[in-house]
Amino acid sequence: MKKFSNRYIFVYSTILVSVVAVVLTVVCTGLKPLQERNARAETKQMILKTIGVEASRDNADELYEQYIKEERLSDGRSLLTFDGGRIIPLQGTGLWGPIWGYLALDDENTIVGAVFDHKGETPGLGGEIATDKFAKRFIGKSILQPIVLKKNADKSSPYEVDAISGGTMTSNGVTAMLAKAYDEYGRLAVVSSAADTIEDGKETDR
Amino acid sequence: MKKIDLIKLPFNKQNPITVQVLGVCSCLAVTAQLKPAVVMALSVTVVVALSNLIISLLRKSIPPRIRIIVQLVVVSMLVVLVDQVLKAYMYDVSKQLSVFVGLIITNCIVMGRLEAFAMSNPPLPSLLDGIGNGLGYSIVLVTLGFVRELLGSGTLWGYPVMEKIGLYNIGYENNGLMIMPPMALILVGIIIWIHRTRNKDLQEQ
Repeated sequence: MKKFSNRYIFVYSTILVSVVAVVLTVVCTGLKPLQERNARAETKQMILKTIGVEASRDNADELYEQYIKEERLSDGRSLLTFDGGRIIPLQGTGLWGPIWGYLALDDENTIVGAVFDHKGETPGLGGEIATDKFAKRFIGKSILQPIVLKKNADKSSPYEVDAISGGTMTSNGVTAMLAKAYDEYGRLAVVSSAADTIEDGKETDR
Repeated sequence: MKKIDLIKLPFNKQNPITVQVLGVCSCLAVTAQLKPAVVMALSVTVVVALSNLIISLLRKSIPPRIRIIVQLVVVSMLVVLVDQVLKAYMYDVSKQLSVFVGLIITNCIVMGRLEAFAMSNPPLPSLLDGIGNGLGYSIVLVTLGFVRELLGSGTLWGYPVMEKIGLYNIGYENNGLMIMPPMALILVGIIIWIHRTRNKDLQEQ
């Protein structure tokens, strides 16, 4: 076997690593605008999907302008509204990384559309939360109580949704995310709807 | 060895999964559905072929003492490139595969072929060997993805086959075990079993 000196090894590895670094930097910088555009368009596509508008990556910008109104609140968050209600963002953690989603709510805080996504859940298992099939399970549910994902959920209950088989940890993450959303949005809605009920002179269980 | 054998053998007597038993981990993880299985198979094929080619071109200059590190650097570079390209041009698929593209780096087929073949063979045969092994891996992945998605979710490529045939109406139910990774291992075992029964010379004494 050929003998290589230590100096050769050092020089060799330095050059190799530098070449690889340059190649990767060039490619990543070159592709970055495309990737960022994909990510931005995707967020808009997701938001549009909650209100039943199927946008492609190319016309997402245009349709977003058309259907969604973005309002900046005093606390720095933005309020998304559409014709017939509002859209709230969800953020949480799944098994391997962040998961997020959007819920479209009508004026009674009933979910009219939902969409979820994830960074790195297992494809085919926890990754299933990104499918329409999963999102459809949320339609008609209410955020006036925390929604819970479980096995053999009672479909008639507005606060229970079927969990994903093989994706228990991710499902638990979705439950936690919804509980957080309830804290941020649902609780307020409960208080305000209870106030409405009292004004109407009806009894309330709260 | 004839050049065509480099492509043909991995399909049968040198199959990376069923005979060399390499890359089993990823074939359990991404085969719950057909589509990620196919894209994963293609990505691995590209990475194995190109890394085989590059390492074969460099083979005479690589100091043996750091050869594994050199191989890892080359493989990692290719995997990051595949990941970036998928993110830019096939965004949906890259999202579906999520972490598994990055994990191609740890796929034993890649390192296995580099050590066993590319380090001691010229570029062209190495490239062919890489393509052959990538395809040999692919065929097992696609088979698993097909069986698992069909029996586990009742769909193929997302199309609800079982529902269209009307099997649910006569009491058929999806087999939940199929989408769990252990079932993939059992299926791989069954494939190896059939393969060895048909090829007597693969059986150990």
